Amino acid sequence: MKHIIDCWVPRRLAALAWLGCAATLAAADAPVRYQALPTNTLVRIQGTSTAHDWEMKGAIIGGFVEFEAGVQFDTAQAAIAGLKDGKLSATAHATIPIRSIHSEADHLPDVMDNLMQEAMKEPQFKRIEYRVTELKLKEPHAPGKPFEFDAKGELTIAGVTNKVAFPVAIQPVGKDQIKISGAAPVKMSDYGVKPPAPNFGLGLMRCGDDVKIIFDWTLARKNP
Amino acid sequence: MSSNEETTEFNRREFLKNTSRAAFMAMMGGVELRAAAAAPGAAAEDSLTPIPPPAPVNYGVIGAGVWGREIITTLAQFKDPVTQAPIAPVVAVCDHYPGWLNRAGELAPKAERLDDYQKLLGKKEVQAVVVATPTPRHRDIVLAALQAGKHVYCEAPLANSIEEAKEIARAAQAAFKLVFQAGLLERSHPQRHFLWPFLRAGALGRNVMVRAQWHKKGSWARTAPTEDRTKELNWRLRRAESTGLMGECCIHLLDAVTWFLGGPLLGGRPSSVAGVSSTILWNDGRDVPDTVLCVFEFPEGPNAGVRFICDASLCSSFDAQYEMYYGSDSSILVRESKAWMFKEVDSPLLGWEVYARKDSFGAETGVSLVANASKQKALTEGAIGASPFPNSPLYYALEAFTWNSSKVSAAVQDYVENFSDADTPDFRAHVASERKATLAQHPAAGWREGLEATVLAVKANEAALSRRRVALEEELFEL
Repeated sequence: MKHIIDCWVPRRLAALAWLGCAATLAAADAPVRYQALPTNTLVRIQGTSTAHDWEMKGAIIGGFVEFEAGVQFDTAQAAIAGLKDGKLSATAHATIPIRSIHSEADHLPDVMDNLMQEAMKEPQFKRIEYRVTELKLKEPHAPGKPFEFDAKGELTIAGVTNKVAFPVAIQPVGKDQIKISGAAPVKMSDYGVKPPAPNFGLGLMRCGDDVKIIFDWTLARKNP
Repeated sequence: MSSNEETTEFNRREFLKNTSRAAFMAMMGGVELRAAAAAPGAAAEDSLTPIPPPAPVNYGVIGAGVWGREIITTLAQFKDPVTQAPIAPVVAVCDHYPGWLNRAGELAPKAERLDDYQKLLGKKEVQAVVVATPTPRHRDIVLAALQAGKHVYCEAPLANSIEEAKEIARAAQAAFKLVFQAGLLERSHPQRHFLWPFLRAGALGRNVMVRAQWHKKGSWARTAPTEDRTKELNWRLRRAESTGLMGECCIHLLDAVTWFLGGPLLGGRPSSVAGVSSTILWNDGRDVPDTVLCVFEFPEGPNAGVRFICDASLCSSFDAQYEMYYGSDSSILVRESKAWMFKEVDSPLLGWEVYARKDSFGAETGVSLVANASKQKALTEGAIGASPFPNSPLYYALEAFTWNSSKVSAAVQDYVENFSDADTPDFRAHVASERKATLAQHPAAGWREGLEATVLAVKANEAALSRRRVALEEELFEL
């Protein structure tokens, strides 16, 4: 009986050690996933009109960003560990609920909210969505500054998807968070969104077709 | 078509024209559209443009008496300005008395008729409930409704005791994902929000005194086919269940006046109330008086020395309901959705009153404080013209509740879909931020205002019944 126990204990320990090593290796190979946080996130939509520039704001960007295993953001370094041919292998999906974007105008902001929601065909299309297809690092990177990329991806507004490209910056925040910032220029008519043209002032009043979606998006590493 | 229907039904062309014009004005950034911020006489039509909420709100109405049925009728007026689809559909009504339940069901034919409020609260499709039952039943129903995850509109007073009102307030405070609205109608009335900033800017001079009255001739007694039902119907005539005239009728006046005088933060919360009461006409065995008079005093501060006299009677209907704010430079009469200013001969010239419409009251001349009350309007409409706010106070209160419930629900749903439903400080902060934004557009009384007014009403009733002065210590109002 003692012999059986003597043999069984080391075998079991060996099996546990092997499982531990396998798990560690698997973790090392697993992609690094960052999940959207509800704090320190701001999205602004800025536009023009023949009368006045306007802006709407929201605090929700949902979704995630997933990088290939081994990617580390250390702004003290000249480059990013895990970079291949100057590009980061990444998957990203960002969603912005349209009704969470509000005007902060002093007067009747709900009118502006409603106009915008109507133009973007909410509630049929509830979200603005963005998926990244390529992240190319702008080099050289100045140590201490955020990493800057040329991002390519697909932007969906009011059910219409277009390929877009615009610069983004990734800044590590503390040990386990990153902040992604950028500004996406958007032509409303490209998405079937008719720029509001209020029936006022002999029809001279018109919103500009070009708007800018400016965002600061904070994400936290999942199970760091 | 009723006058209310005329004001709420728009065709698409009118809707788009109005929203477009309002959007232009908003983008201009500096043109006052909202009557609340405009000088008397300014145009107010744009503030009436109906903007639908993010999504309709399904209602359950608990209590199908006269007021409950009025609520159902009012909710039916809210329709999408483009599609005419109901914005506040009543999907369930509840009353344990079959006669009332049937009458309510006729007003809301698509609503399920239920005889137990727990059954109504168990309906997943019910998103918001209106509690229009006798006051003593509010506590249990409101607590159960909040527990069931429903937005709650509770008629005022919240309860017939301060302890029960505090239980409701605590539960409403804890339910951060829900809207709780106390049925204090003036808090949502656009005329009040037009008037208050103007009055607070100093048009009155020094506050001197406030008088308010609620007069309506009628016994309050009601008859029913059975003795039990008659007893049940007449709960307001019994002290043990009723907060009397101060609670059941004057609570809206108590709320409006103390709000105007600054509320708890600016010296507008009274420090004591004294009262007298008597049964003059309806001496039918009731132990709730038919005539009551209370005098509220205020602590040291901006209202030191000011007395607020509030009286109510079921014996005389003369002059119905009004508030009179007396100041050293002018006095203001507020009646229904209109107001007039009566200036002292030595008061400074404000400027705009030259262009405002004037109405005669016996030997006095009142400057109209209704939005749009210009001389030009007076020429076309005659004296004492129509109010720019033609709907009932209940309409505006339920409008605020519907819109706020819809917006808070949308904020909760958006957050949960993108993050999680865990109760975190971030979640609470997000909902609080959205709640604040929507309340700025659709102001309404919450649990705090409901508790304040209920404490004042309960204590005023106590003072009137005991015919003595009752101190209003701060702890009465604290949770």
